[in-house]
Amino acid sequence: MNHDPYSWGRPTDSMYGQYNSQIANAPTSLEGNMASGANQHTTSPIVTGTSVVAIKYNNGVVMAADNLASYGSLLRFQGIERLHKVGKTTMVGISGDVSDMQYLLEILDELTIEHNYDNDEYSDNVDELQPDYIFTYLANLMYHRRTKMNPLWNALIVSGVNSKTGEPFLQYVNLLGVKYSSPSIATGFGAHLAIPLLRKLADSEEEAQKLTKEQAIQGIKDSMRVLFYRDTRSSKNYSLAVIDKDSGITYDNDVNVEDMSWKFAKDIRGYGTQKV
Amino acid sequence: MVAQYGKEPIQHQFNPYSDNGGTLLGIAGEDFAILASDTRQSVDYSINTRLSHKIKVITPDLSSEDKKNKLVGTNKSILFGTNGFSADGDALTEDFEENYKFYTSNQNKKIEPGFEFLNNGNEDKESSMTMQSAARNVQHILYGKRFFPYYVHTILAGLDEEGKGCVYSFDPVGSYEREQCRVGGAGASLIMPFLDNQVNFKNQYIPGTNSTERKKLEYLTLEECLKLVKDAFTSVTERHITVGDGLEIFIINKEGVRLEYHALKKD
Amino acid sequence: MSQQDPSTINGGIVVAMTGKDCVAIACDLRLGSQSLGVANNFEKIHQYGKTFIGFTGLATDTLTLSAELKYQHNLYKLKENRGIQPEIFANLISHKLYEKRFGPYFSTPVVAGISDESGEPYVAGFDCIGCIDAAKDFIVSGTASDQLFGMCEALYEPNLEADDLFETISQALLNAADRDAISGWGAAVYMITKDKVTKTYLKSRQD
Repeated sequence: MNHDPYSWGRPTDSMYGQYNSQIANAPTSLEGNMASGANQHTTSPIVTGTSVVAIKYNNGVVMAADNLASYGSLLRFQGIERLHKVGKTTMVGISGDVSDMQYLLEILDELTIEHNYDNDEYSDNVDELQPDYIFTYLANLMYHRRTKMNPLWNALIVSGVNSKTGEPFLQYVNLLGVKYSSPSIATGFGAHLAIPLLRKLADSEEEAQKLTKEQAIQGIKDSMRVLFYRDTRSSKNYSLAVIDKDSGITYDNDVNVEDMSWKFAKDIRGYGTQKV
Repeated sequence: MVAQYGKEPIQHQFNPYSDNGGTLLGIAGEDFAILASDTRQSVDYSINTRLSHKIKVITPDLSSEDKKNKLVGTNKSILFGTNGFSADGDALTEDFEENYKFYTSNQNKKIEPGFEFLNNGNEDKESSMTMQSAARNVQHILYGKRFFPYYVHTILAGLDEEGKGCVYSFDPVGSYEREQCRVGGAGASLIMPFLDNQVNFKNQYIPGTNSTERKKLEYLTLEECLKLVKDAFTSVTERHITVGDGLEIFIINKEGVRLEYHALKKD
Repeated sequence: MSQQDPSTINGGIVVAMTGKDCVAIACDLRLGSQSLGVANNFEKIHQYGKTFIGFTGLATDTLTLSAELKYQHNLYKLKENRGIQPEIFANLISHKLYEKRFGPYFSTPVVAGISDESGEPYVAGFDCIGCIDAAKDFIVSGTASDQLFGMCEALYEPNLEADDLFETISQALLNAADRDAISGWGAAVYMITKDKVTKTYLKSRQD
């Protein structure tokens, strides 16, 4: 019998053959892991979500992200929502590693529950969970994890409306803890493909304050179409959130890219350089 | 034989730093100091935002009179600027702010006899922090992370105890120096020689002396300094891709702190 | 010893500027071996008829290249029976550099002269494989090129008279060199007008 407690109840090599460590770069054995004292940190994302895009308008924020979770080039899960409501007037959009995203959602759920306990109808003064509270919390968490050299492999966009001031809120933070705010923000490919379109609509806070909800939604829809054209890790099906000062959050998790034109593809043969 | 995990070379390592570009510039005058920076934040070839703030005014409370005059700080303020990896810059600013708050807090004012040192040794003294103390504190924060440094060039500007303008600049691990002027960040190599020439009159001689008599050092006026700052930033915007969008200039003098904003090219 | 960047072993800078009916080109005089200063009389500007060329980069390559260009210039004079124009010379240099596209000279030349035909001032710079930068204001090159860019961008203005251009290029060179550990140790400035060339040595920091 093997007297090492760590081996008890585990599949034995004699029965199953040696564990294939090639799978997800797992340690070659538990003993090996323990002996070296190595801690496993994320060094690259596994199942991933692509771009999140968002823009401010005169009365709030519009944000979108597709519903796809990819495993490399495989379309692994086709119904994963990546926009999440937190509190009453905040949406968090998450790209990058999906398991890290789900860990973040657990934390945010816990945060909301704790907050509700302390701010129910029996409390002396009720404070609503504001977008900037959630953002500050997440930004500190992201920076803390990067400093521990154990990052959450994500880029987050927090958008919403401050329920006290009515001020639209839009800010970004990533796995390094780098944060910024801008009238339009996009993660990943969106930063290259969507941002030029969105900055054409509003390049400054002043211009964003003149933008209507309809214009903002159209801008985001156009961005999602362009991303579907050119980002191979994107999907046609996506979620769209509108966070409005007056009407609150409107969330649709089943929007599809519209008005596509693939006419240009009709005559393409091979790599596009051949004439047939 | 069991293969040992961790014996093979690690394939890929997480890089905890990034370069967010930008330039930071401080000049000290006789009775004022200036701290200026561009407002672009970028990574690789992408512009994250055209309006980020690399300078924080750390100030005692403002009077209503100050607010009416659109001041953003009192004459006891510390202008705190960081440039480099923005996440570390933000963290360093917050670290310092926390120290500043504890140091200047009024809670220590009522002190038992013999414990006056807890109140910086002077109960009547206005609650503020001298530039000299601020600079030494920043050194301690930076050096505390000597083996996992804050990847930033830090510049402080303010008024010293005699009311003279002062600028302190730091390297990422806390080496620091009080100077007349300093540039940090992406455009440092372009602007610094220009400031040597225009602020410290380097390589300038009195005409007719056959380069035997240097031009005498003298303080520049606020107007002259502001012109230099604007010239420096428009120049470096032409030649450096991570510099541009906007220019924030903070000016501190005996009235308090004033903020000027100027647009820079967005290309 | 570890392998380093060949273009920053010896150190040195060149800058050229256009003015009103004049051009100026200037260089420092240092030749070094990394941090060790070896010579303080290493002139980087060479004259080819009425055209002046400054070479920065790996010293051995600048010598080879300047000799090759002297040879090409002589051939041109024999064939054409006239002096070479700066624009033509710039294209010749570009060809010579690109000939060695996959094993380049580690040198980035700067051309300055006044065209006989148009009477216009002309400056041009290159990368080490011959891409021409025919700027209408100034050209910088060498280990303190960042510093030179900053100085020139801030000090330069178009259509300066020869005296003012001299002061501008001198201050640009001197202050840029003082912020570079491997440039300096003296400087030389050429002021070129239609019918006169003056060469001036500048007093500079010796550290």
